[in-house]
Amino acid sequence: MSLSAIKQKLAEIAVRSADAASPVPLAVDTAHAVRGTDLDVTVPPERVTDAARVLDEAAFMLESITGVDFIAEGQMEVVYDYTFTASGERVAIRARVPRAKPELPTVCGIHPGANWHERETHDFFGIVFTGHPDLIPLLLPEDADFHPLRKDYGA
Amino acid sequence: MSLDVQNLDRETFVVNLGPQHPATHGVLRIKLTMDGEYIVDAEPVLGYIHRMHEKMGENRSYAKFLPNMGRMDYVAALFNSHGYVAAVERLAGITVPERAEFIRVITCELNRVASHLLWLGAYLIDLGGFTPMLYAFDDREMILDLLEAVTGARLTFCYFRFGGVANDVDENFVSGTRVFVARMRSRMPMYEAFVSKNIIFRKRCEGIGVISAETCRRYGATGPVIRGSGVAYDVRKAEPYSAYPRFQFNVAVSDLCDNMGRYRVRVDEIVESLRIIEQAIDQLPGGPVMAEKVPRSLKPPKGDCYFNVESARGSFGVRVVSDATENAYRLKLRSPCLSNLHLFRECSRGMLLPDALAMLGSLDLVIPDIDR
Amino acid sequence: MEKQVEVPPALVQFAQLDKVLNLARANSLWPMTFGLACCAIEMMATGASRFDMARFGCEVFRPSPRQCDLMIVCGTITRKMAPAVITLYDQMPEPKWVLAMGNCAISGGPFNFPGQYSVVEGADKILPVDVYVPGCPPRPEGLLEGILKLEEKLCSGWRRWPVVET
Repeated sequence: MSLSAIKQKLAEIAVRSADAASPVPLAVDTAHAVRGTDLDVTVPPERVTDAARVLDEAAFMLESITGVDFIAEGQMEVVYDYTFTASGERVAIRARVPRAKPELPTVCGIHPGANWHERETHDFFGIVFTGHPDLIPLLLPEDADFHPLRKDYGA
Repeated sequence: MSLDVQNLDRETFVVNLGPQHPATHGVLRIKLTMDGEYIVDAEPVLGYIHRMHEKMGENRSYAKFLPNMGRMDYVAALFNSHGYVAAVERLAGITVPERAEFIRVITCELNRVASHLLWLGAYLIDLGGFTPMLYAFDDREMILDLLEAVTGARLTFCYFRFGGVANDVDENFVSGTRVFVARMRSRMPMYEAFVSKNIIFRKRCEGIGVISAETCRRYGATGPVIRGSGVAYDVRKAEPYSAYPRFQFNVAVSDLCDNMGRYRVRVDEIVESLRIIEQAIDQLPGGPVMAEKVPRSLKPPKGDCYFNVESARGSFGVRVVSDATENAYRLKLRSPCLSNLHLFRECSRGMLLPDALAMLGSLDLVIPDIDR
Repeated sequence: MEKQVEVPPALVQFAQLDKVLNLARANSLWPMTFGLACCAIEMMATGASRFDMARFGCEVFRPSPRQCDLMIVCGTITRKMAPAVITLYDQMPEPKWVLAMGNCAISGGPFNFPGQYSVVEGADKILPVDVYVPGCPPRPEGLLEGILKLEEKLCSGWRRWPVVET
């Protein structure tokens, strides 16, 4: 599947801009040399599985999952980094969840490799991946009840 | 030989492998459910050397975080530094002088050879042969001497800076590197005769620890693990960075998919690295090694970017999120070893314990790189 | 008033024999193959061909704590790992010694900062340390000197090897 075909499919999933008159999907073509990704798509949190399925069908590899805590906006962002081993094209999928209730579905069923990345993101940010088979601490001690990479940790 | 795990009706028992065990190369713990000598389930337990690198990335300035990068994957420290400085340079829009890029490539490739030699020695100890380690460390010490002269460290190098490298290389480094390349070439037939043709080594490697290319993709395994399964994925070719596009080299691939495949890839990679080093030394341009006008307190513009490099263990990625202050807002370090280890649970099911440990060694894990 | 407890002297003392035993112990230290982090690579290098720890009677690396008398703490001890390190130390038979190699084992090193949540700030918080070898990581020569210092300590201050002039 070519990158433009993937872009088209992801654009259907992506978050629409707030301007109701011309709903533009927030799929951004980015220059690889400037941002490190070829495609940067923001999707609604409940649809990350759909985006993951599109990229899995296109034989992309999930490289990492990470969180970013935007405390000023009251939101957390989850970033999924994909790469295509044959050509080196990169796609980033983003989803914003509210800080008060950081929940989004797991992609473990699609990419088995997401298991540890999601556990790690849960460790660091307390983001809950619903449907995850075993969301126990990965890097922190078994009984850890803190999320050190939240911006209000230790404050 | 393998065991039909699905139709198991016998008693099993649980064994802890690690966190202190010579075969786990550090502080990895694996919770094994065994049926006699066969593995029913092997669950890696991580975090025994979690050192908060990502947290430290957020609470100190960009430059002050540089030494940390040498302490993540310390066997191949320069690659981590390279990934980090390149990501910040990309975000801040700093152009690196040509000579500095060449020096980065030369030192990185020397580091790759050193890393693979260390792996060779340690892996053969895992398989029961002690002597090759003494030979491999002998060659490795030559590289460390060369790198020490320019970087000032033997192991945890902190040599790259935003916009270039800390010191220029001198004539001694250039001539010393030439001597090393010639010597290492002459040593390769010895390793081949000494290791590759050894019948015990072959029995432990051939057909053992088979990992399919599809498994590698589903788990995100990269580096020699995916190349040992027949996929020619190398970041140096897929997303050319630094001065790599200027050099002729092949991506070492093996479609054996087993321990031997991964061993072949690493040995062939040493030869390819020597080719790159030789070309880079021959073409080494003059000029400065630091970009002009790199501010002392770096404040990249608001935004984020990703950069990944081909480390000795696979694709090492850095995602920097900046909020235009002196510290990174978020620093994600994507370590290759985490994904490479992840497939162990699935692939080791039904294997004999000694075979599984031979496979674990062939993945070339550095535990502080996994735990960060 | 509190009663002074007098420690009874051993019934029979072998001062000269102890000296001989300590000389033997000092020159046949058996360290544990126990790598925590970066320093473990330098420990391997110290044992390998160029630096050759065997010259000082200290090359028999044992993977089992039951066979060791020297624990080289080479690397960062994390809070998750600390109980395992203490168990390993307890499993070693007496007499036993601990060498803290590298800044992490001395004080937590670079990972000791306000608000840190993961590392133990020095091996001496959990173990009785005999010799400290600073460095990040220490050079193999540094580790060798640390081991010579330990040998010196075992021989009550008598040093078998010459001091390197600087």
